[in-house]
Amino acid sequence: MPTRKSAPDPSSEGGRTPCGEPHPGEPSPAEPQQFGSAHDVSSASFASTDDPRIMLDREVGGLFDPIPPYPPQTERESEFYTLGDGEMFLNLGPHHPATHGVLRLVLKLSGEQIVDVDPVLGYLHRGVEKICENSDYYHVIDQVDPLEYISSLFQEWAAVLSFEKLMDVDVPPRAEYIRVLSGELLRIASHTLFQGFLALDLGGLAPILYSFIERDEIVEMLAALTGARMLFNYFRIGGVNGDLNHEFMSRLGDWMSRAASQTEANAALLNENEIFVRRTRGVGVLDRATALRFGVTGGNLRASGVPFDVRRAHPYSVYPDLEFNVPTREEGDSLARYLIRVDEVRESIRIIDQCLHNMPDGPIMAKLPRLLRPRPGRAWGAVEGPRGMLGVYAISDGSDQPFRFRIHDPSFVNLATVPTLLPGNLLADTMAIIASLDPVMGGIDK
Amino acid sequence: MAQLRRLTGESLAFVRGIPRGAWQRTTIQDRLLILVVFALGGAVTTVLGLAIFGPPIVGFLGANIPLVRFFVAVTVILLITVPTAFVIIYLELKVIARMNLRIGPNRVGPWGTAMSVIHGLKVLAKEDFAPTGADITVFTLAPVVTYLASAMTLLVIPFAPGLFGQDFNIGLLFLFSMGGLTVLGLLMAGWSSFNKYSLLGGLRSAAQIISYEIPLTLSVVGVILLAGTMSLNHIVAAQSGSALDWFAFKQPLALLIFFIAATAEANRTPFDMTEADSEIVAGFATEYSGMRFGFFFFAEYVNVFIVSALATTIFFGGWTAPFDWPWPTTLNFFNPFALGFFGWAGIVLAVAFFGTQFLALLVRLFGGREWTWGNSTGLGFLLLFVVAAALAGLAGFIAFEPIRGLTWFMAKTYFFVFVFIWMRATLPRVRVDQLMGFAWKWLLPASLLNLFLTATAVVIVHG
Repeated sequence: MPTRKSAPDPSSEGGRTPCGEPHPGEPSPAEPQQFGSAHDVSSASFASTDDPRIMLDREVGGLFDPIPPYPPQTERESEFYTLGDGEMFLNLGPHHPATHGVLRLVLKLSGEQIVDVDPVLGYLHRGVEKICENSDYYHVIDQVDPLEYISSLFQEWAAVLSFEKLMDVDVPPRAEYIRVLSGELLRIASHTLFQGFLALDLGGLAPILYSFIERDEIVEMLAALTGARMLFNYFRIGGVNGDLNHEFMSRLGDWMSRAASQTEANAALLNENEIFVRRTRGVGVLDRATALRFGVTGGNLRASGVPFDVRRAHPYSVYPDLEFNVPTREEGDSLARYLIRVDEVRESIRIIDQCLHNMPDGPIMAKLPRLLRPRPGRAWGAVEGPRGMLGVYAISDGSDQPFRFRIHDPSFVNLATVPTLLPGNLLADTMAIIASLDPVMGGIDK
Repeated sequence: MAQLRRLTGESLAFVRGIPRGAWQRTTIQDRLLILVVFALGGAVTTVLGLAIFGPPIVGFLGANIPLVRFFVAVTVILLITVPTAFVIIYLELKVIARMNLRIGPNRVGPWGTAMSVIHGLKVLAKEDFAPTGADITVFTLAPVVTYLASAMTLLVIPFAPGLFGQDFNIGLLFLFSMGGLTVLGLLMAGWSSFNKYSLLGGLRSAAQIISYEIPLTLSVVGVILLAGTMSLNHIVAAQSGSALDWFAFKQPLALLIFFIAATAEANRTPFDMTEADSEIVAGFATEYSGMRFGFFFFAEYVNVFIVSALATTIFFGGWTAPFDWPWPTTLNFFNPFALGFFGWAGIVLAVAFFGTQFLALLVRLFGGREWTWGNSTGLGFLLLFVVAAALAGLAGFIAFEPIRGLTWFMAKTYFFVFVFIWMRATLPRVRVDQLMGFAWKWLLPASLLNLFLTATAVVIVHG
């Protein structure tokens, strides 16, 4: 803050250790002594500290710094919350236009350059995993829906897949094809939205609106199929909730007739924009080794040159029967992560095309008892979501509720790389990096 | 009447100093008497004042015509900033909406045209809030400084022949010095807000505007060399003739540099570093609300207008027409006094009657079945006024050079305003270091090169 520089800080020489300062609201033995000493120093030699603004800054200034109100718990925390020469904290979020929900980043800045980052999570934590352990197998599906709210079908899919493994259910092929069809549609919607939000965070106004046109087409056709626009609650253990209907097919046909050219045109808005390319090329480079060390999956990993795709590596559903490529790039920067998504949209359109051509007839649900009591055991079901490997690990104790239910959310793992990617970059690059990792805070905070 | 009395009585009873209930006890006659006394007193005071102070005032004003002209010009310029900002805000909402395949404002007024007026009223009605720890004096002065710095630059811009605030011989210098004051206001806002986002925005604006002022000023030096003057009126006069005489064709590199630097100077996309909403929330304006924010907002759009007007004036011939005017520019067809009163009355009546009937006939022919004799005559009568106004406007456009010049000037200026809006709808934001690097590594050498080439050419041709 402006006045802090002019005020001598009596409590420490050189680096300020605000972590040691008590919270103004809490009584502490250090507080009166500290303010008393400040007053003594000021009356002795520094006339400027009599300035009411500086006194006010002393009293309330600490409130504006994102410093925890308790003494440092770890060495890392102590190191982070000690300011070096010419550094300041910037509290980015949880209410900020560009942090994609309620992500909070405490940035240590030197000028506009980022020195260190401390991400603070948990503003959306609802304990969904525990809620799922207390609801029966059918109810888990609508509990996990709002986690990754942009592409909630994949979250259902992971849960349903692990339960089907737990119960040895054979899903009818038509149901599998419908799952792949709706899932790939939603993947396109999610990737399209990603492109728009990346541009919006870099200051471009137009692409987000073009993205929302495509997303709305897809969401409307999925609403015709499932009955909801965002939180579908469509997949069931052993199949899906409803068969393909006329409205869905006609909307899909309309959209497919222009999907390829329209997505190309939307991508060209950004691909051929010099400013966009300069803002993203070489920014936030995630190298192969780091990506693997952090367990990054999805497009972010493939942008770093690792061709890992759950649909190919651990095939599920009818993906082994479908033809599609796993696009990879070597650069690992924000631009590569963006271009991977553009390529994946093309592959998803191919997959949808094949699904429509190969769609078999038959039932859409396996025959299952009304009350599900799987044998004791454990199962891991993972699907390739738009953000990476979405996994569910379920343990059954033989009752009608999962004994343990754990969700592996790709956004959480991807976001963990932010503290290694950000330092050294400028404040403006924070947006390019976070948006290119494409986190969804609902899934991260669970 | 009782309701009216209750209303007035209640509303005036709150005025401090008047005992509650005193106004209610008066009758209508009392109130009329009070009104008459006040009116008479006012009239007597006015007449006496005019008789005593009038002649010296008139004499003083008559002796100082330039001073009067200056004060009138300043007042008019301060007044026209508001509708200018309103029009540009509305255009921005509407044009960006169309480019984004949206409709834009369409609820308030015809085609949403009253939207920016409503925005202005909303801003006036909001709480005037200052955060804890802010330096209130600087915090309050900052928007005023920014707004006045923008508005004062309008003073030297020639809108039309004879239609300018003041013709300085150092017009361009005045313009750039006033434009440079904007940064002071932004820096004051960023510093006094007691907010780190504001501070970052203020410092960004300081770095950006100071860096881009150098290529901006240097790019215009070539034009000054060619025109031999810094007065904007003379620069426009040097470009009169056809479009080929515009400095845009003699100084294309300077135009490019000027346009880029002016975009940065006006804090417009892609150089809107100071209020990058996705990075530093709203930059220097983060803590501002109400009319203080409104002044920043006005200043931004007035800046857009000024930058467009400058590009028009310096490079695109200002108010001059883009081609030689082929039509007669005077209307000395007949002597209007030769007709006499009855002649004029006859012409007016005949035009009104036959014009109305002709337009009503057109409405009945091409309108639907619902156009009867009665309502089509009414519409024809209204249309007659529209036609007359259009004809009068056309006659004014042809006959009066200021109106013609203003029309050309506004057409060119609003074309550049459109280009700024277009850029905002299309481009993402550049990064701070890219912005500064571009200014110092590319624009500054390019403007020096342009200056060198122009000076060489001038020496070869004239020397």
